[in-house]
Amino acid sequence: MCDIIWCKKQVDGKDCDTINYLDPYYFWNWEGKIACAECGTVYYIHMINGFMYKGPEERPGEKYDILPLYADKPYDGYSNYRPGVEGRTRPYECKPRSWLTGTADMVKFSIRNRPVRGWRPQPPSAGLAGQFPYNWDIQKLTPEVWEEYQQKLAKGEVKDW
Amino acid sequence: MAKDPRVTRIEDLPGPKSQGEMDEMKMPYEEYCKKAFDVGNEHTKPEALKGIKWLSCTMYIFTPHSVANLAELGAQVVKIEMPRMGDAMRHTSPFNECYLYPLHDTRPMTGTGLGFTNANPNKYFLTMDYHIPEMVEVFYGLVKKFDGLTELYRPGTMDKWKMSYRYLSEINPRFIYVWGGGFGYGPKIFGGSYDILGQAHAGLASITGMHEYMGGHCTKQTNWVIDWQSGNIITCSILAAIHHRRKTGLGTMIEFSQVQVPTRMLGHTLPMYGKFGIVRQRWGNWDTQLCAHGIILCGKSDFPDADNPQDKFDARYVMVSAFQDADFKELCAITGMKNLYEKYKSHNQRCEGEAQVEIYTALEKWAEDKSRSEVAKILQDAGILAEPVRNDREVYESPHYRERGTVRWLDDPLFGDMLLHAGYSCGLMEKTPRRINWHWRPVGADNKKVYQDWLGVPQSKIKEWYDKAWI
Repeated sequence: MCDIIWCKKQVDGKDCDTINYLDPYYFWNWEGKIACAECGTVYYIHMINGFMYKGPEERPGEKYDILPLYADKPYDGYSNYRPGVEGRTRPYECKPRSWLTGTADMVKFSIRNRPVRGWRPQPPSAGLAGQFPYNWDIQKLTPEVWEEYQQKLAKGEVKDW
Repeated sequence: MAKDPRVTRIEDLPGPKSQGEMDEMKMPYEEYCKKAFDVGNEHTKPEALKGIKWLSCTMYIFTPHSVANLAELGAQVVKIEMPRMGDAMRHTSPFNECYLYPLHDTRPMTGTGLGFTNANPNKYFLTMDYHIPEMVEVFYGLVKKFDGLTELYRPGTMDKWKMSYRYLSEINPRFIYVWGGGFGYGPKIFGGSYDILGQAHAGLASITGMHEYMGGHCTKQTNWVIDWQSGNIITCSILAAIHHRRKTGLGTMIEFSQVQVPTRMLGHTLPMYGKFGIVRQRWGNWDTQLCAHGIILCGKSDFPDADNPQDKFDARYVMVSAFQDADFKELCAITGMKNLYEKYKSHNQRCEGEAQVEIYTALEKWAEDKSRSEVAKILQDAGILAEPVRNDREVYESPHYRERGTVRWLDDPLFGDMLLHAGYSCGLMEKTPRRINWHWRPVGADNKKVYQDWLGVPQSKIKEWYDKAWI
């Protein structure tokens, strides 16, 4: 369940009927003003431990503190504003990392700048039935990464931790 | 010196002269621990389970982890995977980004996901389609030479293939056989399981997370705690079975239902129901028996300028424990909640639901204009137990974990520089410590070692099986 503000404001003779979704984790204990993503009406709420203690109350003419995370209009085929629509919804920033790409990330060095093997493609196994009977010698198998590693060593970028 | 040179007097010998002196001369306990456990030099010591040989027909985390424990302790564990596919867990990676290549010669553009880590260190990787008639005898050949097997198929699958305990114990009476799966025999025998199902079905999720009244919901742990814990408990059973075999000479069968494990973790929940008919409620970051004893939210992040949202927004939680009267009095004094101390002087009063709501709300109000580290420092300086809630980066940077070797870097023979905890986060052993030799190896990487060196299969035969995709 996510707490919502269902905006019933009359705009041009029609109900706004927009559901503004608030992120529950952000709003366990919060007091302030939120603008409707569709019509911009400002509502005051006061939440204590996730319970809507006061509001939503309209505050015409006042400036909002925050925007909803997501909004949709169920009577309009669920047309919606996804997170991060400028001026309407706030961006959703709780991603695991800021540079999430969703595609395979093939780094060649660890965070302490030592070589990580296993990027794609790797040379095939040597021998019978897919066996790997040896340690991967980076100097012989990937001399260009070895060279880059030497440069990092020379610059003092390789750390213990 | 004694008059008679043949007499040895203790006072003439070097070293302590009395029990008291000996106690004084002992090295400080911390130095003793450092020397005894000698973190970083695990590989110079013997392995506890050296000589134990185990087969593993397992997938995902739960059953692989049960034998990974054995492999970390020195057992020779052979993981048997389906040819050219491998364990399904290999194809699982956080956010589809973290792969290590190659998976197998025939699939150079497919990798093994980091989700595979920690459940498969030190194992030998064999491929075999053991359920086809051509390979059954080869499988039996392995059973004759090994001490045990762990498998996870739906109940009765291995029995259908004539590979269950009742068949294998006829070949090798010392064989220890583990079935680990969802429900086990009973009304839901055919029910499969995942960690989340275990947490939900066994009542654990219902008492995890904040109450709905407080804006929370029943919650699963982000990580697969039931998988990891089930693996640990199976390992206990295996070690007990090995000990039993030493006394009787006979193997045994272990049947392990994953959905029992969260029940084991429910503490007093079920006995309380039995006695009073009370269904336990979840209480999230607070505690039903202790107050104040929970996690609070502070107003400011410790890393407001960080890129990573986990640092930027989430570095705001502090664990606080001040449930004893004197501690609670001090907590109230430094946070300006003296009225609350007057109101809830006894511990029983503080543990009431309404009191907890009031106390934690007031604490969070006090912490509203402070950062996490400020709150922790103020409380620690006042002698109250408080610690910031750390993320994994902070765990990595913690000197405590580094000194004890809990997190460390390994130069993996195939994959290079990798950060790990695995067996090193399982406590220290003086004489026979756990160790990690490699994280994992590609599918079938040890085919030749097992088939040729251990079973004596000629190379031409191995090649033929490989070309037919039997191995």
